[in-house]
Amino acid sequence: MKNRLKPGPLTFAAYILPSFLLYTFIVFVPIVVAAYYGFFDWSGGTAKKFIGLENYRTLMTDQRFFKALGNNLFLIVFCAIGQIGLAFIFAMLLESRVAKLKSFHRTVSFFPSVLSAVVIGFIWSMIYDYNYGLINTLLKATGMKDKVQPWLSNEKIVVLLVTIPLIWQYVGYYLIIIVSAIASVDSSIFEMAEIDGATGWKKAVHITLPLIKNTITVCITLCIAGNMKAFDHIWTLTGGGPGTASEVVALYAYKTSFLSQKMGYGSAVSIGMLVISLVFVGVIRFVMGQITKEKE
Amino acid sequence: MRKRNTTEKSYHGNMSGKIIINLILMIFSITCIFPAVWLFYSSMKTKSEFFENPIALPSTLNFGNYINVLQKSDMLLWMKNTARNTFLSLILILLIGFVVGYFVARFDFKGRKLLYSYFLLGMLIPIHAIMIPMYILFTKTGLGDSWYTLIFPYTAFGIPISVFLVESYVQNVPRELEEAAAIDGSSFSRTLFSIILPVCKPILVTIGIIQFFSLWNEFTYSLILLSDERLKTISVGLTIFKGQYSTDYPQMMAAMFMAILPAIILYFAFSKQIIKGMVAGAVKG
Repeated sequence: MKNRLKPGPLTFAAYILPSFLLYTFIVFVPIVVAAYYGFFDWSGGTAKKFIGLENYRTLMTDQRFFKALGNNLFLIVFCAIGQIGLAFIFAMLLESRVAKLKSFHRTVSFFPSVLSAVVIGFIWSMIYDYNYGLINTLLKATGMKDKVQPWLSNEKIVVLLVTIPLIWQYVGYYLIIIVSAIASVDSSIFEMAEIDGATGWKKAVHITLPLIKNTITVCITLCIAGNMKAFDHIWTLTGGGPGTASEVVALYAYKTSFLSQKMGYGSAVSIGMLVISLVFVGVIRFVMGQITKEKE
Repeated sequence: MRKRNTTEKSYHGNMSGKIIINLILMIFSITCIFPAVWLFYSSMKTKSEFFENPIALPSTLNFGNYINVLQKSDMLLWMKNTARNTFLSLILILLIGFVVGYFVARFDFKGRKLLYSYFLLGMLIPIHAIMIPMYILFTKTGLGDSWYTLIFPYTAFGIPISVFLVESYVQNVPRELEEAAAIDGSSFSRTLFSIILPVCKPILVTIGIIQFFSLWNEFTYSLILLSDERLKTISVGLTIFKGQYSTDYPQMMAAMFMAILPAIILYFAFSKQIIKGMVAGAVKG
């Protein structure tokens, strides 16, 4: 009877061990591998040379690495503002009493989130295309020929241009999260606020926003995690170019390892990326924790 | 003067405010759907038709580009590969998530908390930070470049969220279920799979939905771990195709539309459940 309710050690091991091993092998062993090869000058072949901390020392002063990291930060900040900000505004509009076709808007706005990043990248590269792109076609049609330019070759704005598709793709995702948070708030609170004269943006900022603070923190955390992963979009849109203008850390690690054949240094870059992400997540969790605490 | 009046009064539900709010929402929704629609109708155009006016509708419905894509490329093979990877990984993610999630939720063994945290820790590891070492690892162990290669990382990356969601779900499943089954003489494994598994179906469906789209769309690992042309997935296949036929825009768009068609069909058929599932997974995770 007891055995039927609680498995013995053997049954237990049989159920847990395979998953445990697979998970460890894929998620944690690579970290050890990267830490190990980070100590070598190695191009992937049989010859490798132990160079101690040299790779890490190089990394500390690697301008290209820090520029890529800066691009990651840019992406995170602009996506957080763009995705969550727009999502909040649209959520307020969608929740207003006069809005029609609510379920249509929800379904359609969420749709881009399920599309492949590679396809999103291609679609936007066609929107930005010099000869036949949507933007330049529209500019020509409206008589603003002087504004026509090869958009993705413009070093100054290319990071912003690769951010826009990311914002566009996920506004609907955050919109739905925020709408469902608003729906779970007791509606009498909103009614009371309206009786007290809080309507429109006043109500949105002073009543709704504080009530869904926790959801907003969840959104910000998701946004950060999501944009640290920005790789596919940029790969298909610009490949990190022009030059290295729109490179992010993951793309730099890829190029270093596979195009420049510096597997040892690529491993060190990977460890750098891991450490920075973990520190970043730690800081964010701490800050968010403080904000949520204040509220209570 | 009149304009100011409308913005101020928009929330009181007067006519112009109503129109403005609905107009903004409609424009937003159209921008969300338009690129996919544009992709679709442009894929029906001929090259010259497209170059003449990239925005105009096609003059005739012409599926020639699709036929070309199928003849010139391994599109169907890439789709088959992607479907196989997605399907097998999904099965494993659900199975492992179910078993591990159930064990950590139900049994109070030594190191239970530690094991649970360990299985969740993967959520903090950015997958791109381990792509280079994973390439090294897979090359050294000979696991790379096979039909099963991608199933390893796909499954492992799906484990944390899956364990997490099953664990919190099983917490709310009454223990009497297992007790009654045990009294009836059902063995542990039988209870697990014929009693508990069906009860967990809703959460497993949610996990399946969340994972399906990220698996179908996955790019990075299929780019890195596979070099054999016959094993490529759809996302990498598209980049190859683009490299070869980059000047034929409508044909390229036909290929892209084919690639996203399964996701489109699935999404619009089950949009309610998909939205609910993805939001639940995101907020809880």
